[in-house]
Parts: sequence; C-alpha cells; structure tokens
Amino acid sequence: MLPFLQPRAVGLLNYERLVTLPQTGQALRNTAFYLLGLLPLTVALPVFIAILTQDLQGRWRNLYRALIFLPLIIAPVVAAAVWRWLLDPQFGLVNAVIGAFGLEPVRFLNDPNFALWSIVWITGWKLMGFSTLIVSAALSSINPSLIEAARIDCASEWEVTRHIRLPLLSPTIFLLVLLTIMVGAQWTFTYIHVLTQGGPLDSSTNIYYLLWQFGFGSLAAGWASAAGMILFVGFGVVGLALIWIMNRVTFHDN
Amino acid sequence: MFVTALRPENEIYSYLPIPTAPSLENFAIALQQIPAVRMLINTFAFALGSTMASLLTAVLAAYALTRWRFFGAKLAYAIIALTWLVPFQVVMIPNYVLVSRLGLIDTITALVLPNMMSAFAVMMLVQSMRSFPAEVVEAARMDGASDWRILWRVIVPNLRAPLAALAILLFVSAWNEYFWPLLLTRSPETSVIQSGIQMFISDQGNRWGPLMAVSSIACLPVLAIYIVLQRQVIDSFVQAGLR
Repeated sequence: MLPFLQPRAVGLLNYERLVTLPQTGQALRNTAFYLLGLLPLTVALPVFIAILTQDLQGRWRNLYRALIFLPLIIAPVVAAAVWRWLLDPQFGLVNAVIGAFGLEPVRFLNDPNFALWSIVWITGWKLMGFSTLIVSAALSSINPSLIEAARIDCASEWEVTRHIRLPLLSPTIFLLVLLTIMVGAQWTFTYIHVLTQGGPLDSSTNIYYLLWQFGFGSLAAGWASAAGMILFVGFGVVGLALIWIMNRVTFHDN
Repeated sequence: MFVTALRPENEIYSYLPIPTAPSLENFAIALQQIPAVRMLINTFAFALGSTMASLLTAVLAAYALTRWRFFGAKLAYAIIALTWLVPFQVVMIPNYVLVSRLGLIDTITALVLPNMMSAFAVMMLVQSMRSFPAEVVEAARMDGASDWRILWRVIVPNLRAPLAALAILLFVSAWNEYFWPLLLTRSPETSVIQSGIQMFISDQGNRWGPLMAVSSIACLPVLAIYIVLQRQVIDSFVQAGLR
C-alpha cells in the first residue's frame, strides 16, 4: 500500500486472517440486514406508489414527480446532512414528533439498536424515487386494451392489478430486486461514513465499509484486497443466480 | 434546508417554517471557514471533465462495438458490462495505488482519471447505436465516407437526444461524487464541495447553520439543471433504468 514498501508474497494468509476476524462476521450479517431492509423500500413500496399514482394528471403529476425525484438527484452528503439534522436527538423534527406523543427521544444514530435501520431508511428514501419512476414507466407501457378487456369482464380494480399489472411488471420488479441486491449495500457507504462511521459498536457497519476501514483506516491493504476479491466473487455468483431465476420466473407480454 | 441556512444562530432550532429575521450570516461563515468558491470551481471542473471524457470514450467504444465485426466483440462487450457491476470499493485500492504511482495525488486530473470511461455510458450508447438505421450508414459509406467521418458527421448529430440525456446523468452523478475525491484530496483547496459539507459535521457538535448553507450551495447547480431540463432529466433516468 505504501509506495516505498516492496510487496511480499504471503499466500492465502490475508484470506485466513480475514475469515477469523470477528468484524467480518458482523459486517456480513449487517450487509444481509441492509439488503433485507432495503427491499421493501426500493421494490414493494415503489410498486404500490406507482400503481396508485398511475392515473394522476397535469399539475399534480409534475408535483408528485418533483417530490419523488428530488431525493434522487441531491448529493448523498447533503442528504446525510439533512437527515442528521432531522434525526437529532435533542432538536430534530422527528424526535419533536415522537416527543409530542409523550415518548422518550430516540437517539437514532447513536443507539446500536437503531443506527442500522436509520441508515436503511435514509438509503431507501433516496432510492425510492428511482424505483417508482422505473415502475411508472413500465406501467405506462402496458397495453391498455388488456386492462380495458378485463374491466369489461367485470374485474375489480384489485383483480386487474393482481392478474394483469403485477404479472406484466414482473420483469421490472425482478430487475429492481437484482439492482438492490447487487448494488444496494454500496449506496449505504456515504451515509455510514458521514453519519455513524460504522458504529456504535460496529452495529451499522457493512462489508463495503469494512473494506474501506481496512484499506484506508488501518492501512491493511492486504486484508482489504482479500475482502474485495471475496466480495467480487460472492456477488458475481449471486448475480448470475438471480439472472437465472429471473429468466425462469418472469412473464413477458409478446 | 434552505430555510435553516437563512436562520441566525439563536433561532436554528425553531420549528417555524419561516425565519423571523432571515440573514445571510451562515453563508458568510461558511465562506470564511472553507474555500467554498474554490471547491465549487474544482467540483465543476471535475464533473465537466469526467462527463466529457467518458462521453468521448463511450462514443468511440460504442461505435466500434456496434459497427465493426471483429474477433471477441461480444466478449469485449460482456467484460465492459461486467465492470459496471464491480463495486467501487473493490477497485479503489488498485486505483489509488495507480494514481499515487503517477504522482497525481491531490490533483483534479487524478479525480477525473478513473471516471474517464464509464461502462454504463458505453452500454447506453451501444443500445442507441444498434437502433440507428443501418441503411443511412451504408449510404454514407457508398459516398466514400470513412468510419471517422460517419461517426462524427452522421451518427453523432442524430443521437443528440440520447447523448444529452447521458451527459446530464453523468454530470449529476459526478457532481454528487463523494468517495473518490475524499480519498484523494489532502487540502481544502483541492477538495470538492461534497467534502466541504462534511467539514461541518463532527462528533463534537454540528454547526447546523453553515452546514445547511454549504449544502444549499452544493445543491443549487443540480436543482437548476432539474428545473430547466425537467423533462429530459426524468427521461434520462427512466431510460437508464429500463436497460
């Protein structure tokens, strides 16, 4: 890592050390939590919102688009700053609302029980707009005569959604799941770095953040590179598996 | 955020939506503590440089991948597509070592360098060049135009819309880039505005006023792009997602 040091060959030593470190296990578990926590925010909720808002017209449509779009284009650091302010235990708006119900203020970013979920929420909030846009675009490309035909056959709104919209959305939904799993945890990096630094007690760290800490915090480039390789291979396998499942399960309107 | 930036120190925590005595004090403090103007110029140079560079490489690569039949073309495309899925955290150390060997630490060139080729841009342009009518290209070739001429005189002018969409996307994401500049820069004078924001967040307590002031400044260009080009921005994000 340091330019003046000659690299030494150490065989698989870096990998061995990595696997035996307690932080690695914690980081892997947290990565899984991040992904599970992100899926409802980046897949389920956007599908719901997109279907509900499909028929909006004119000015409301623009307003709603601006609302879901703004989180997407503002810088992650700015988003982190704004959320840090909203979640402030003493003065933040969120705790003011909680306080209004007579509850104790929650230290969202400093409490090991909440830190991870706060980061999940912020990341999800940032990505929700993107997913909603994609689902909306996919929804508007559905052939309207299909829905028309179902309505004539007295299908209820729920039946139209369940049997026509959702099956035709399945490729899009799978794409979003794939995206979330493959790159979702990466997007948490800035928030972790600005808001919690992986703490408290490693409760909000994940595998990407660990990599950064190894590489540039403790200058253990060997560990970081080993972790990078594991990450690369692991996610490659998961990605291929998901694409295989996607080709089997999704339904296309030909 | 904008409202808080206008609040004087003693009112920061009030929940009223409008400050009673708006002041630009926070902006002044922010400008004093960090070289914000310098940072904005850096950010702009970085974002513009990487947008232009990756557009150029993407146009050339996409043309080669769509118009030429050569051995391993499919493989090359697959490899480019794969690099898009490699997390940045995995390549940061090789990149960092490379840049430091080149002696470019703490320069804007180093910031732009790894962003000079964007796999994502190549993929998007390959898609739009594939749908470009082959007859037009054939006709130009009949008239004796070289590949170089065909690309710049025939294809690029006709792909203005997707190119603009791509440029917006690349610019916004480069503007918001945080991680790589954070690694490379050593002094406030060479940082980008995103790192400037972070300088007001610390464990000892937060300077909410200046923090919000810098955040507002950092957001303005992107917001301006959004307001002026609302339709195109939304379309470019949608197109990007539907790949």
